[in-house]
Amino acid sequence: MGDVSTKISIEHLTYKYPFAKNVSLEDITLSIDAGQSIGIIGRNGAGKSTLCYVLSGLIPRFFHGKITGKVTIDGEDVPTMPLEKLIRKVGLVLQNPFSQISGAKMTVYEEVAFGLENLGIEKDEMHERIDTVLRQFDLYKKKDENPFELSGGQLQRLAIASVLVLKPEILILDEPTSQLDPRGTTEVFETISQLKTLGITILIVEHKFEKLVEYVDKIALLHEGKLLGYDTAEHIFSTSEIETYGVGQPIYTALCKRMGLKKANGYYPVSFGETVALLNGLKGSGMDRRTYNG
Amino acid sequence: MAKNSKLTTAILVLIPVAVGINYAGKLFASALKLPLWLDSIGTMLSAMLAGPIVGAISGAINNIIYGLTTDPVSFVYALTSIGIGVSVGLLAKAKMFNNAFRTLLSGLIVALVATVISVPINVVFWGGQTGNVWGDALFAFLQSKNVGIWVSSFFDEIVVDLVDKVLCVFITFGIFKALPKTLVYTFRGEE
Amino acid sequence: MRVLSLYVENDTFIHKLEPITKLLYALISIVITFLFPSIMVGAVFVAFSLLLAISAKVFKRMLLLLNVVLIVLLSMVIIQGLFYRENVTPAFRLWGLTFYKEGLLYSLLLIVRVVNMIISFGVLILTTRPSDLVDDLVQKGLSPRFGYVLASVLQIIPQMLSTTSTITDAQRSRGLETEGNLFQRFSAFFALLGPLVLNSLVEARERAMAIEIRGFSVEGKRTFVRQIPETKADRWIKISLYVAFIVAVVWRIILWVM
Repeated sequence: MGDVSTKISIEHLTYKYPFAKNVSLEDITLSIDAGQSIGIIGRNGAGKSTLCYVLSGLIPRFFHGKITGKVTIDGEDVPTMPLEKLIRKVGLVLQNPFSQISGAKMTVYEEVAFGLENLGIEKDEMHERIDTVLRQFDLYKKKDENPFELSGGQLQRLAIASVLVLKPEILILDEPTSQLDPRGTTEVFETISQLKTLGITILIVEHKFEKLVEYVDKIALLHEGKLLGYDTAEHIFSTSEIETYGVGQPIYTALCKRMGLKKANGYYPVSFGETVALLNGLKGSGMDRRTYNG
Repeated sequence: MAKNSKLTTAILVLIPVAVGINYAGKLFASALKLPLWLDSIGTMLSAMLAGPIVGAISGAINNIIYGLTTDPVSFVYALTSIGIGVSVGLLAKAKMFNNAFRTLLSGLIVALVATVISVPINVVFWGGQTGNVWGDALFAFLQSKNVGIWVSSFFDEIVVDLVDKVLCVFITFGIFKALPKTLVYTFRGEE
Repeated sequence: MRVLSLYVENDTFIHKLEPITKLLYALISIVITFLFPSIMVGAVFVAFSLLLAISAKVFKRMLLLLNVVLIVLLSMVIIQGLFYRENVTPAFRLWGLTFYKEGLLYSLLLIVRVVNMIISFGVLILTTRPSDLVDDLVQKGLSPRFGYVLASVLQIIPQMLSTTSTITDAQRSRGLETEGNLFQRFSAFFALLGPLVLNSLVEARERAMAIEIRGFSVEGKRTFVRQIPETKADRWIKISLYVAFIVAVVWRIILWVM
């Protein structure tokens, strides 16, 4: 039985795309509490996007194929939940900023309204929600512009806004910054910290680990469809086999591993802050430099 | 709901893209100074991917949009584009694109369908002409020899359509074959 | 251009009419001109449509639209004048050729019908934002899924066309030969269209996923963030159009029976 605050529960999830030779997800079991932020990492083809599609309902509705196992949100079964209920619980943001614009709306304001119109939300409520969400994500000034005129970072903010206007409590982002420049990336991550303060449960697939570890509570490591690890960042990245999963690690962790610098709790630092603290600590205590690990 | 199950979201998003491919084909053909229109590739591709009805819709919308934004003449030929979409879709279902010979045959069939549909439109709106310089010259010549208006218009049209449609069919099929299977699966329509 | 549209921004009475009203005028006027094999009927509508165009201050643009078909219309006069089936009465001689009255009149009939078609639709598309027309149709009952297709076509096409230059540059930098003999240019066509098709289809799949997540397939009541208003003027005009249509049909049947 899960916690009262368990938001998402996945048990023995297995899935194979039609036409695929092998399963894309194999016997995945994990649970996520309300308000948590989880990072999903793994090499290409590990099943990260597939997991996102299952949780957002695109599998099996859009992709078909066979799902076995149990996936629930707030205790309710996800694959069979009516779509209009599910999209009010889960939002999904994909990696290409341009392909998420509906293409049917001439202004940013109407683009955000798209989902609300589909759900039949009353006009006054629509205007209120749209205004709120545009201001929240710093898009209010652009409300009368054509969506195709926005930059990559602005478009991702628009994608997030268009999805959050439906008031889901869970947001899934699948490599949201992979097609953005550094500025766009920063914009997206700032938006994510905003979402955290709003108590939204976040799942984010990311390769930019240095940034990722600053925003997530736990990390799920996928490899060839299996869940190999689901723990805090320091646990996941401290394992020496991390490289065999084709995943890489935050550059600070790699550095500290090379120099044999562990934190007091026996794990390697994963962030800039931790590494600086560690090195300052060494400086301050006047200890000799530790020997390198070859 | 019959409408939802056949015209899936993926197919509805495909239709504008098919029209865009028509436009792009026309653009590239003109930029490369090729002696043909090559502007039905999108319609044909959507028919191969999702069936005759989707091909028909793509064709119709193509002509409606082009007619409303660039050349009013193409508006009335929406019926021809619909015919192209339907015939390619049906031929694809009948596996008429499995080898080069069959594809050639299909191309000829499509050219014939396009011509046969266009001729009555030519007669009603343009007195039998097509607006194409060479075709109309032939038309005038045949008219001067007292050939029937329908026959004259038929030859006017086929001069324009034959090579263009056959080539479009080959190009479309080549592109279709090269697409990843998972992508093709997304847009499959009527089962 | 960002959106496929011939819309000319302005504030005239015609501009402010509901899009469906203008669409109805175009459709009914075209049907009536085709119901009657009479140059007079066609000419009346052409004159009326022209008046609308002038009142909407889009006359100049209208001439540009007509320009496109000018040559074909001229060739119709020539070909029908010379070769029309029922040519009996000579009208005049030019360059040794005899132009006949019947053919000339027939070509005139064809011309007024085509011209009316272009002008009446021209009034619609020059004074109406395409998105307004689609929104209006959806709000009056057109399937929203179909409305989506119509609305997105207008933006997706310019988007796709703007990527053609990117693809062309990329392929050229890989050594693609875009000039040269016919075979080379045909191969180039394939090498340009292929990537464009692939990219567009992948993007289409993602777009389908994105709109699905935002409830595109949800059934049931829908609401609209922008209402297209229908005024009293609209209602009167529509009624007049319906009446004119019915009168025309009845009259035609009477003529046919007599």
